[in-house]
Amino acid sequence: MRRYVQAPGPIGEYSGLPLWQRAAPLDLVYVGYGLLVVAVVAASYLLGTFGWLPDDPQRVNVALINAAPFTSGHVLGTDFLGRDLQARLILGIQAYFLPGLLAITISVVGGSVLGILAGYRGGWFDTIITYFDNLIDSFPRLVLILLVIAAFRPGIYYVMVVVGITSMPAIASLIAGKIAFLRQKNFIEAAHALGLPARTVILKHILWFNCRALLVIQATLGMAEAILIETSLSYLGFGVQEPTPSWGNMVQAGANYFLQGRFWPSTAPALAILATILGFQLLGDGLNNLLEGKRRK
Amino acid sequence: MKLSAIKPVSRVLARELAVTALLLLGVSVVVFGILYLAPGDPLNILLEGQSPRSDLALGMREALGVSRTWHGQYATWFGKLLQGNFGNSIRTGLPVLPELARVGVNTRYLTLGSLAFTLLIAVPIAVHAAAHGDTAGNTVATLVAYIFSAVPVFWFGYIVVYVFIHQLGMFPLISGTATRQGHAWLYFLVPIFVLGIASGTLSEMIRHLREELSRVLAEDYIRTARAKGAPVWRHAFKEGFLIPVTEIMSAKIPFLLGGAVIVEQVFNWPGMGRMAWQAAQDRDFPVIMGIALVAAAFVRLGNLLQRVVFTAVNPRASKE
Amino acid sequence: MDAPVLSGVEGPLLAIENLRTYFYSRAKRAFIRSVDGVSLGVARGETLGIVGESGSGKSVTALSAAGLVTAGPGVISGRIELRTNGTGYNLLEGLEKYARVTEQDGRVMAVEKDERGWRTHSEQLMAGVRGKKIAMIFQNPRSALNPYSTIGKQLVETIRLHTNFRGRREAKERAIHWLERVRIDSPRLRFDNFPFGMSGGMCQRAMLAMALSAEPSLLIADEPTTGLDATIQSRVVDLLAELKAGTGVATILISHDISVIQRLSDRIAVMYGGTVVETGRAEEVLAPEVVVRHPYTAALLASIPNAETIRRKSYLQAIEGDVLDTIDVPRGCRFYGRCHRVTDAIRENCAGLEPPLAEVAPGHKVRCWLYAAAGKA
Repeated sequence: MRRYVQAPGPIGEYSGLPLWQRAAPLDLVYVGYGLLVVAVVAASYLLGTFGWLPDDPQRVNVALINAAPFTSGHVLGTDFLGRDLQARLILGIQAYFLPGLLAITISVVGGSVLGILAGYRGGWFDTIITYFDNLIDSFPRLVLILLVIAAFRPGIYYVMVVVGITSMPAIASLIAGKIAFLRQKNFIEAAHALGLPARTVILKHILWFNCRALLVIQATLGMAEAILIETSLSYLGFGVQEPTPSWGNMVQAGANYFLQGRFWPSTAPALAILATILGFQLLGDGLNNLLEGKRRK
Repeated sequence: MKLSAIKPVSRVLARELAVTALLLLGVSVVVFGILYLAPGDPLNILLEGQSPRSDLALGMREALGVSRTWHGQYATWFGKLLQGNFGNSIRTGLPVLPELARVGVNTRYLTLGSLAFTLLIAVPIAVHAAAHGDTAGNTVATLVAYIFSAVPVFWFGYIVVYVFIHQLGMFPLISGTATRQGHAWLYFLVPIFVLGIASGTLSEMIRHLREELSRVLAEDYIRTARAKGAPVWRHAFKEGFLIPVTEIMSAKIPFLLGGAVIVEQVFNWPGMGRMAWQAAQDRDFPVIMGIALVAAAFVRLGNLLQRVVFTAVNPRASKE
Repeated sequence: MDAPVLSGVEGPLLAIENLRTYFYSRAKRAFIRSVDGVSLGVARGETLGIVGESGSGKSVTALSAAGLVTAGPGVISGRIELRTNGTGYNLLEGLEKYARVTEQDGRVMAVEKDERGWRTHSEQLMAGVRGKKIAMIFQNPRSALNPYSTIGKQLVETIRLHTNFRGRREAKERAIHWLERVRIDSPRLRFDNFPFGMSGGMCQRAMLAMALSAEPSLLIADEPTTGLDATIQSRVVDLLAELKAGTGVATILISHDISVIQRLSDRIAVMYGGTVVETGRAEEVLAPEVVVRHPYTAALLASIPNAETIRRKSYLQAIEGDVLDTIDVPRGCRFYGRCHRVTDAIRENCAGLEPPLAEVAPGHKVRCWLYAAAGKA
């Protein structure tokens, strides 16, 4: 049963409701949840940076290991060395926050440049970018990163440079596609006919007016990807090493106690990963539906 | 298929094969480039602790016929690749290619199995959502799929292991000491199930299939099909189902291979992913390079098959 | 087919009564009243031309009659009676229970519709009717044919679905026969062609062959010449005239091009803002000497170029003002805002009351206060 209701009063006054009023409620839920996650992550990152933590994340307490939540001052319980989980979860954000920002900055900036070259200049440049897109897509990203790890033993920032570079072609092809679409509508030709300089057309009319939604969405999805990779690597033992906490190595460390029925030390960081990645993905998809009008009416 | 249709299709296939070859060449250059740029070349690692004298290492280089220029080295290396010589594992000393072939089978089971499993879940949800729009049922199903796609696969693996083994006593612990209890098939199915559900592909698969099918169902020619009283599915099948399904399958192979690295780790699954992890730990270059090459070849093969289906189905593809 | 049989089988082949098809603008939270109480009839063998500007609701009327409206809420009330072979069916029979319409002052304020239930039931009523008894062709024929299938396969599918030519070979022969009848060159070669290699005119011929190959009682041609080159347009019109004469199929012809309507129609309905504003025999509605006509029809006719205006190089008369936005339907006559013939005597009515469709001559009806019995009808 679907319900359609005519707005009361003279109809003419109801034209052009604001975006949030005419959006599908589900998309608003997605975006709302995503923004909440972004806010919590950013705030926690600041807490970690300034060391405003509920407890010392490194203080070992052998008397209180793998404690359940709400045990004597530990709101989220303790890990296998009796360290406060809440403090370690907050500090764990340090492991991916700046590296993730680095990755999405590289992919968005690099992807925009390549995309504009491919879409605006076209020709052989387009062919080459398509080639590199396919080339990079040929590698499972984790396998490529393992190869780089084997070769260089890089820190997380260098790994994120690899993540950023390998995400560039995908964004480039999206932007090139958008430019092709704008060309179809003679939009770019019109801008040139008006005598606008190429720089204005590219930066203002193409990137800012027509690609900003796309870039925000890609950056959001890129952050989800970066978190997934950082936590996976830490889990595999190639990322942040004990005793520095990362959500990935916390899951790994806690897993040893899993079969003893001690779920929590592993599950708490896992849920944090779940909630965060879900937040970034839903934010990306919700924005996509909202700003790019992907959902059908 | 009619004879007249075969010729253009074969021409397109020849082009696709050439593109695939070119891409595989690029793959080898990337892999070699990373190796070449690595500090302390693999030879040094191999000789580490065995011969402290550098002149000995140099002599060994000469003896092994290693060229000094990068392109010479690449040519030698690539020539051997073509002969199927991927080198020997530094850790075990065994030739890489037969080893990869041995464990690659397991990874193939894992990835293709989980791909099939993901499709099994994604297709009904996507088709329902495309045909009926947002309903309470498919909205909930899509949301659950999103949540599962964000679950860290390494943790989900432990949960499943715990529930199946510990609670239900279904089959031996992964350390493999206990006796098999006639549930051996579960041993294979559980990792496939875990990778299929939590590798992050599920939600994207649902979204892609739904978007494509909705788009096609809104096409003019589907309206024509309805206007003439013909079944809609017969007309929407090729563009709305077959092409998007093969597209997303091919696009998700690299993700599943990446996910396999973790799932094989969790389940002690003797596959390429676990071998890659081990090789990265040991800096076992020939092995990790071999795995990267084989994985890329696997991805390109999937892509090639997708192009074959697309070309065979789409009359416009062969006339461009 | 289990569509309910109507008592009376006399009357026109298809009779649409008080049809309402609404859409919904989420952005404006308002109904778009695309078809707002339309009644029409087509007799056996007759061609009814429906003319009007874009947005007047003519195409939506046709799609509603064929049960092809997909957007919500879609058809919400009315009757569509089809009488063939001595039996009649209401194609909207029993559907009203799926839609609950809340009205206030004769205006729809809310619709609750079980769209799945409606669709399932409507598809049952339409089974054996759509494609078989009512066939349709559309504008943009190149996108209306399935690009993944050959012309021949698509024709054979229709023939095997709806006629007694069930065998593969006889269906193929029949398909080629139809390709010949729509004057496609070398039909045996075209049979294996995909639509993408063919011109728009060729595709429309193939569409026409496909529609007629089911031997329908009624053909709905929705803007059949729109999007084709001018020379091709006139060939398609010729072909339509020829096939109509040959098959005797009743036709609803929809076009914004009044010259196309003029050439083919026996009767004409002029639509404006989701309603029929004038209907009658083609000569009566379009004849230049007739004085009694709806101001909108007059304006439409004035906008057609003819030899006289071209010779004098005078400007064509455009209809001033914008096409009525069927979201913002005024209380009175829908054409009031653009009408030049409002007199002081009727101004109050025009602004405040919708005029009835009044009979000005036998079979000729006009919805205008100029011709309605003055006062509150």
